[in-house]
Amino acid sequence: MRTKRIIHGRGALGGIAEGPALISRRTITGWNGVDVYTGNVIELGHPLEGMSIKDSVLILDGSKGSNGWSVFFHAAQEAGCGPAALVFPRLDSRTAVTAAVLDVPLVTDLTEDVFDIIRVGDWVRVDGNRGIIEILG
Amino acid sequence: MKLSDEEKRILDGREDLARQKALELIVRYGNVVEAEELCQVSWADLFCGAHAYLDVITSNDFDELFSRMSLCTSETAVLESMDSNCLCYSGVEPDCTEVPEHMLMTPAKQRQNLDILRRFVAAGVVLSGTCIPYLTGFVPLMGEHFVSCESSAVLFMNSMWGACGNGDGIEASFCAAVCGRTPLWGKHLPANRVGTDVVAIQSEPTSIHDWDVLGHAIGSKLPPRSIPVLTGPFRRPNAIQLKSFFGALACTAGTEMCHIVGLTPEAPTLERATGGRKINEQIAVTPSDVRQSIHTLSGQGREKIDYISLGCPHYHIDEIRRIAAFLDGKRIHPDTLVDIWTAGSIKYMADRCGYTETIEQAGARVLTGSCPSSRGYPKGIRTAAYDSAKQRMSAAQETDATLFYGSQQECLESAISGFWEGQ
Repeated sequence: MRTKRIIHGRGALGGIAEGPALISRRTITGWNGVDVYTGNVIELGHPLEGMSIKDSVLILDGSKGSNGWSVFFHAAQEAGCGPAALVFPRLDSRTAVTAAVLDVPLVTDLTEDVFDIIRVGDWVRVDGNRGIIEILG
Repeated sequence: MKLSDEEKRILDGREDLARQKALELIVRYGNVVEAEELCQVSWADLFCGAHAYLDVITSNDFDELFSRMSLCTSETAVLESMDSNCLCYSGVEPDCTEVPEHMLMTPAKQRQNLDILRRFVAAGVVLSGTCIPYLTGFVPLMGEHFVSCESSAVLFMNSMWGACGNGDGIEASFCAAVCGRTPLWGKHLPANRVGTDVVAIQSEPTSIHDWDVLGHAIGSKLPPRSIPVLTGPFRRPNAIQLKSFFGALACTAGTEMCHIVGLTPEAPTLERATGGRKINEQIAVTPSDVRQSIHTLSGQGREKIDYISLGCPHYHIDEIRRIAAFLDGKRIHPDTLVDIWTAGSIKYMADRCGYTETIEQAGARVLTGSCPSSRGYPKGIRTAAYDSAKQRMSAAQETDATLFYGSQQECLESAISGFWEGQ
């Protein structure tokens, strides 16, 4: 087990939540990229295909595809399959709106390259009040 | 965030619950991006109707649906009207409502859709039924703030007109339309509109198809959050070519703004386009990149084609005119279904010119309001072809069919023979 590691950023939405990291430098297509009834990533050939955003700490580098990015994460949350917290190293308009809509803890403007540090499945705590991400194991 | 007295009053909730909840979401969004204040939105292009993502809510009550999915609140607010200073378009609809005999929706869903659209009309929304609002009277001028749910429209209006909007999506657009405000950040601020990457176009795009492929080729090479500045030499594109180009580029890279030196209003020179910043490195887009994009997008072999969908983004009247000219006196293969998508107001022109009749006599259909991405696919489709990189890329998430991509001409020749005639 690795020692506890802390990554600093800006807390953009308050609150504290933790969960397994669902992380990819390659972002997910929002429009039809997520099955809203299970939270499963359904984008063909995506490294996270088949894994669920449900209760995860979702860490993605931006957005892509349709402006309808937020609604799929929003619909998944309405179906009880939304993420516990969000980490976007830098914000764009789609990721910012998604965070505001989901209203879960969000840390952004990171000082380190999180994709080199956190792996899929690592247990991660996001503290949106203090703007820190802790890797717990 | 600095809020005006009126904004504070709206947030107090004494005026109107829907307005209050809409502004709460906008303020939360503004805080996330550290916006210092809000700006007035005078044009809103929305996404109205019983779209599939709303199925997660089982209630048929419009106000409950709108409150939860658009205003992002568990309290049920009654939508009385959109902001009085904001001109609202309904955007893309979930099916071709104007031609009920071709709809894929169940009768119950059709009723729910019409109920929803009626409520929006009562609130002051115009039923535009298109993804090309900018060709059907939605005209935010230079410096005006707009919202749009359509990524290609955001890219077109920022780039070609100097209007200001972010690709921020469906909930943010609805909330902005209800409260008349959006955070003053991103492309709403001049400092964030300058070019970040110089793209040297080494292919020689001349046709609509060339520009469509180029959008994919450039989009595949751009870093995240890029504002590309296109440099030539290339023949000056027209608005119809740019419609396809922006559709492909926005879909591939999430691009919200693109300068073309000597053509777009904020790029009279390369220096002005980059805000005076010197960018030494160039991203070259070569003929080989373009060939690679075609190879990536199209299936291989001369397969039988079940379905051809044309008109993404929705066709301009001139594109329909060309189809009518090609199909005049010809007959589409009986096993191939051909749908041609456009805005209702453009189909009206096509009807008057006789294009629709010519196209229908050949065995194709002119449909309005929607597209396969919103309404899904007819049953039993195993192969499908498109003249749009955007539609082709979206289709990969929407159907299990084998997908083909080529020019409008190649798609039409395939429609006649019933087999893929493209590269």
